[in-house]
Amino acid sequence: MLRLFRTGRLEGETLAVRLSEMDLFFWAAGFAVHLVLLFVLFYRGRARVFPFFTSLIAFSVVRTMILYPVLHYATTAGYVYTFWSLAVLDVMLQLGVVYEVASRVFRPLNVWAPDVRGSFLWLLNLSTTVALALAWADNPLVRTRVGALVARGNLFAAALESEILIAMLALSVTARLPWKTHVAKIAQGLGIYALVSVLLETAHSYSGVSRLLPSFSILSHVRIALYLCCATYWIVSLSRNERPARTMTAEMREKMFALGSQVAYDLHDLQSRKRL
Amino acid sequence: MTTPDLYFIAAIGLFFSILVVIAGYYWVRSRRSPEADWEVLFAKLTWIDRNNIAEVALDLVDESGQPKASEDDEGLEPSRLWSLIGGLEGLEALERNSDVLIELVFYIQKWYPEALVIAEQLRLDARELKWHVARLRGADRKGDLQVSFPFYAQRAVVRYYLMTRRVLSLYEAANFSMLAQLQRTL
Repeated sequence: MLRLFRTGRLEGETLAVRLSEMDLFFWAAGFAVHLVLLFVLFYRGRARVFPFFTSLIAFSVVRTMILYPVLHYATTAGYVYTFWSLAVLDVMLQLGVVYEVASRVFRPLNVWAPDVRGSFLWLLNLSTTVALALAWADNPLVRTRVGALVARGNLFAAALESEILIAMLALSVTARLPWKTHVAKIAQGLGIYALVSVLLETAHSYSGVSRLLPSFSILSHVRIALYLCCATYWIVSLSRNERPARTMTAEMREKMFALGSQVAYDLHDLQSRKRL
Repeated sequence: MTTPDLYFIAAIGLFFSILVVIAGYYWVRSRRSPEADWEVLFAKLTWIDRNNIAEVALDLVDESGQPKASEDDEGLEPSRLWSLIGGLEGLEALERNSDVLIELVFYIQKWYPEALVIAEQLRLDARELKWHVARLRGADRKGDLQVSFPFYAQRAVVRYYLMTRRVLSLYEAANFSMLAQLQRTL
């Protein structure tokens, strides 16, 4: 998620030299926020509920710990190779988080709700097509093919993620599937970040992807500041308990249980005997 | 900046705006006040003669929803079924009401998450009801409605009848004050 130091430096110059104080501040802030978030996830027992999300945050911490020495001691090629290898893992984990959110919303009884499965797959295909079309139409101001591929890949990932999260919101509201508080907070943070990233990636494409350009630094800082806001939002939300539901009395629970059992029995019986 | 670039930026602007509008619309819908929501929901229910529904449904199943033991009964005449249900239009009203019934259960589920299993079951019931109605719409287009109507329509009505019983039982189990209002309508 943090895409600092990714491209564009003068030949023979070390990457570390080109880091501004602001760059270092954002890097340190990102590391600290991830550590706090990871602590909250484990301390409040959310790690068991959200394994992909926890893995993504843990991965972000480890990535910073890997990239920092690489930045100082490795060659440019080594740094770029390490950065993009980790970026691929990052995108995969983000998609894992999207799956985790979908699974919490659309599998309320540990089975995919059959009436939304078709619609969700249709929306998934539509989202992928639209994101691919946008990425294909992008004409980034870069000198190399790899640079163009990276810029388009970033735009594709941001567009797809924002589309899927908004499609999930629309579908769940239409199908009356409830969002639990923590799932909703994770999705909101990711969704806002992805949505604004679409604009930032477009701005990057047309202002040029080079750290020598002031616009590149400004856009990078805006992105990281936004991400830090989202991460702080997750820290606050996940450290709180979910909204308490009303507790049923023993009698109500018994009636509800009887009704649930009756419903299941009725359906099975009717379907098998009358093929309704 | 070239013309294709301008088109691309316009496309991104449109894409962003559409997503923001969709997200805003559904976010507002998901946060509507539950109390106001219930009144709005209730108003959406189309009035349907429950005696007719019960007569059609109980021809096939008993009060508890169990299939009748004897399958040799002659059952209702197709013309009687048509008039009790109100034809395809009557079934379409049931279809619309089934969506409202799900929302009524979803309303309870906001307060009592244990009602999730009932809500899920109702969603499956509604899906089946819609399947039957869709078959009849297809038959209508082919001009076979009169032939197909008795089979599919009665099963759709049974499904609706069971849905209404479940919603009422759920409201009763949860001791909700709206039960009396619902009982009068369902």
